[in-house]
Amino acid sequence: MQVVAFWVLAVGAVAGGVAVFVVDSMARATFALLVSFLCVGGTLSLIELQYLGVLVVLMMIMEMLIMAVFMIMYMMNPAGLMPMTMVHNPRGAAAVAGSVFAGLAAGVFLTPWPDRRGTPPPDPTRALGEAIMGPKMLVMMVIGVAILATMIASVVLATHRGRYDRHGDELRERRPADPGGGGA
Amino acid sequence: MSLEAFLLSASALFAVGLYGALSQQSIVMLMMGLELMVNGIVVAGAAFWFHVSPTEPDGQVVVLVAITVMALEMAMGFAVVTALFRARDVDVTDDAGDLRG
Amino acid sequence: MSVLGWALPFVPAVAGGVLAVCGRRADRFAPGVALLVACVTLGLAIAAAVTRPVVRAPMFEGLPVGMAVDGPSAVMVVTVAGAALAVLVFAAGEPAVGEARARFFGLMLVFVGAMLVTVTATDLALLLMAWEVMGAMSYALIGFWWHEPERVRSANIAFLTTRAGDMGLYVAAGAALAGSGTLTLARLTEGRDPWVDLVAAGVVAAALGKSAQLPFSFWLSRAMAGPSPVSALLHSATMVAAGAYLLLRLEPLLAATGWAAPLVAWVGAATASLLGAVALAQTDLKQLLAASTCAQIGFMVMAAGVGAVAGGTAHLVAHAAVKSLLFLGAGAWLTALGTKDLSELHGAARRHRLVGITFAVGALALAGVPPLSLWITKDTVLTAAAEESTALYVVGLAAAVVAAAYAVKALAAVVRPADAATAFDTEQTGTRRVGPLENAPLPLLAVVAAGFGLVGIPAVWDAWNRLVGGPAEHAPAPVALAVSGGAALAAAYAAARLGPRVPRPSVSADWLHLERAVDLILTRPVLALADALARFDDKVVDGAVRSTATAGRRLAAVVDRGVEVPVDGIVRGIGRGVGHVGDLARRPQTGQVHTYYAQAAVLLMVLAVILLLVR
Repeated sequence: MQVVAFWVLAVGAVAGGVAVFVVDSMARATFALLVSFLCVGGTLSLIELQYLGVLVVLMMIMEMLIMAVFMIMYMMNPAGLMPMTMVHNPRGAAAVAGSVFAGLAAGVFLTPWPDRRGTPPPDPTRALGEAIMGPKMLVMMVIGVAILATMIASVVLATHRGRYDRHGDELRERRPADPGGGGA
Repeated sequence: MSLEAFLLSASALFAVGLYGALSQQSIVMLMMGLELMVNGIVVAGAAFWFHVSPTEPDGQVVVLVAITVMALEMAMGFAVVTALFRARDVDVTDDAGDLRG
Repeated sequence: MSVLGWALPFVPAVAGGVLAVCGRRADRFAPGVALLVACVTLGLAIAAAVTRPVVRAPMFEGLPVGMAVDGPSAVMVVTVAGAALAVLVFAAGEPAVGEARARFFGLMLVFVGAMLVTVTATDLALLLMAWEVMGAMSYALIGFWWHEPERVRSANIAFLTTRAGDMGLYVAAGAALAGSGTLTLARLTEGRDPWVDLVAAGVVAAALGKSAQLPFSFWLSRAMAGPSPVSALLHSATMVAAGAYLLLRLEPLLAATGWAAPLVAWVGAATASLLGAVALAQTDLKQLLAASTCAQIGFMVMAAGVGAVAGGTAHLVAHAAVKSLLFLGAGAWLTALGTKDLSELHGAARRHRLVGITFAVGALALAGVPPLSLWITKDTVLTAAAEESTALYVVGLAAAVVAAAYAVKALAAVVRPADAATAFDTEQTGTRRVGPLENAPLPLLAVVAAGFGLVGIPAVWDAWNRLVGGPAEHAPAPVALAVSGGAALAAAYAAARLGPRVPRPSVSADWLHLERAVDLILTRPVLALADALARFDDKVVDGAVRSTATAGRRLAAVVDRGVEVPVDGIVRGIGRGVGHVGDLARRPQTGQVHTYYAQAAVLLMVLAVILLLVR
């Protein structure tokens, strides 16, 4: 039962991934990706990682929604109404990807993987929580700092006109220099 | 449900993502490819945790880090796209050849 | 005391230097100043002769210099100062329109000052300095009319000839320092054996050069290019006298070596006779007097050689008076009548009586006619020579006879009445008058020229001998006096009878061809050697340098072509290769993100393969 579910989910995940680059419409591509992630979330929950699975599912749903917004903002062909390919060098890419897959698959089957030691703890989520609040604290701190830096950097990058553009380098201008009225 | 099966699906996801990253012109599509690659890593990390050393939480931590990286990569990617688009009205990688030697 | 010693030479020297430097601005009052200085100098000289000052000054480490007025130099300073005053009085009287009188009188005074230092110096260093200053002044005075190239050439010859002799004095100074470690004249004989000979040789060479003895005599002929007062001073008490005086003063040194004294004696005797013959052959009054100067100085040199210091000094003083008198007379006629050619001077003595009479006194004294001065003084020398060797005496006597002949020849020429062939103004336009200042010194000089023979009176002679110092000498013997007086009278009579028909062999007329001989033997070889050396320098030394440079450049060219080009090629090749590699390295930098991804993927695959293989 579990094996069947796993294979279904695994094939679904890969198929969703392939679909992302096959379909014309951007919306479909987004949802194909979402499907792929949902399947991965499912596979995670199959191996007693329900927390991480749910995390992946929730995060990816939000992420795909945001992505869809950006798609519609930026893509020339968001609905795939005009048949057009937006690829370069597909053959080379396919070759590289194929050879990487071949190599990885060979590695998967040729490597003598170590035997399993021990069994999963009764509550893997709890173990994960104790780990990141204990021995793996450094990882968490680094991740936190990276998230903060990303927030700042993305806001700075994406902002069209910031305080310094409006009030001068020293922030001395009483009246902001705006191209139009009504604030930034 | 064996380790090899998991790793095979992870490899397939990684390779598909790599194909997307290499072939897509649109930056957003390219980022989808990157997401898929990280996806494969998530699967592989979880599989190693489960099948090799379930007593240690390291594999889970790897998955957590990978998910975080996905989110951050997405945020930075869209920030860059926004900046690029504002500056040049561009959303295709071919037109952002600033690193050309 | 010491003030007097310093003032004696330096008053005329400094005053002369100032006058000479002042230039044409001082021309108007230069004669007056010069006469005043000359009078002061004569006063100082007499005072110094009485008080005998000695001065010393530090000069070199351990070699103090000094001046002292002792016996012979007491005589000399008075002689020099007196002759200088007489000559300067005459020169002040000469009509010199537009002449650089300040320069003339200035140089004369410096000349006199240098001579005074020369005769009073007690060491070789100071003597050498004064000796050199005197040489330089003589050069400037002989070439006084420097607008005429021939006169300048004469000055050059005179200067170079005396300088050639002067080198000996440097050798002497060096040898004295090496031999005895002192430069004091009185201690020159103390050195070790070879050094004393070297000192003597150097001194003899310098003195013979300065005194125009054989073989240097010809420069005195050239010295006639200067103004007459210069000749009068240069031929009487200064310059030529300096050489003779130096030899007389260093007679102990000559005697100490054993070879120098006879050599000097014979050179003096030879000069006295041969240059007497030269004088006999001259047709120019000043040239005749110049040759006679050489001859008479020859007697003094001979005196130094035979140890007759007192006699030589007496002859020097008497001859100074006689010769300055004769030259001033010749100069007066040259100014008045415009000629100094003996055949054109007929009647000169009758036109200017005072000059004529004094000239006659001088000429007769020069002839050695009794009882005039040179007869006595010469015989003191001849007496000493006879004690030394008979041959020397005979040669000296022959020289005395010749002296009588040429003196009377000159006298006869000016006394003889003018005839149709006589032509004045052959050289310059004469003034036809002799001024009072020109006349003034002549009688005084004539008195000294006539009366200085009193020194030969036995009582006076002993006092003179004590005054001069040196070995005790006999007064001239009556027999010798009679012989030389008779010979002189006979020769004088013969010369007066023959007059212009005295034989004139060309050898004598041309000063024994000395100048040409020196030109042939010395000057031309030296110049040829200089030419050869210059060519050697140009071709070999300089050529070596140049060829080194050329070879260096050729080698550089070879290196440039053979080494530099390949090396440069290698460097350029490396540069181009790096450039190509750089181009290649730029090719993957497409600026396209997906190519970077592809490259990264491929590289990672390669790394994975390598890892697998290495493990």
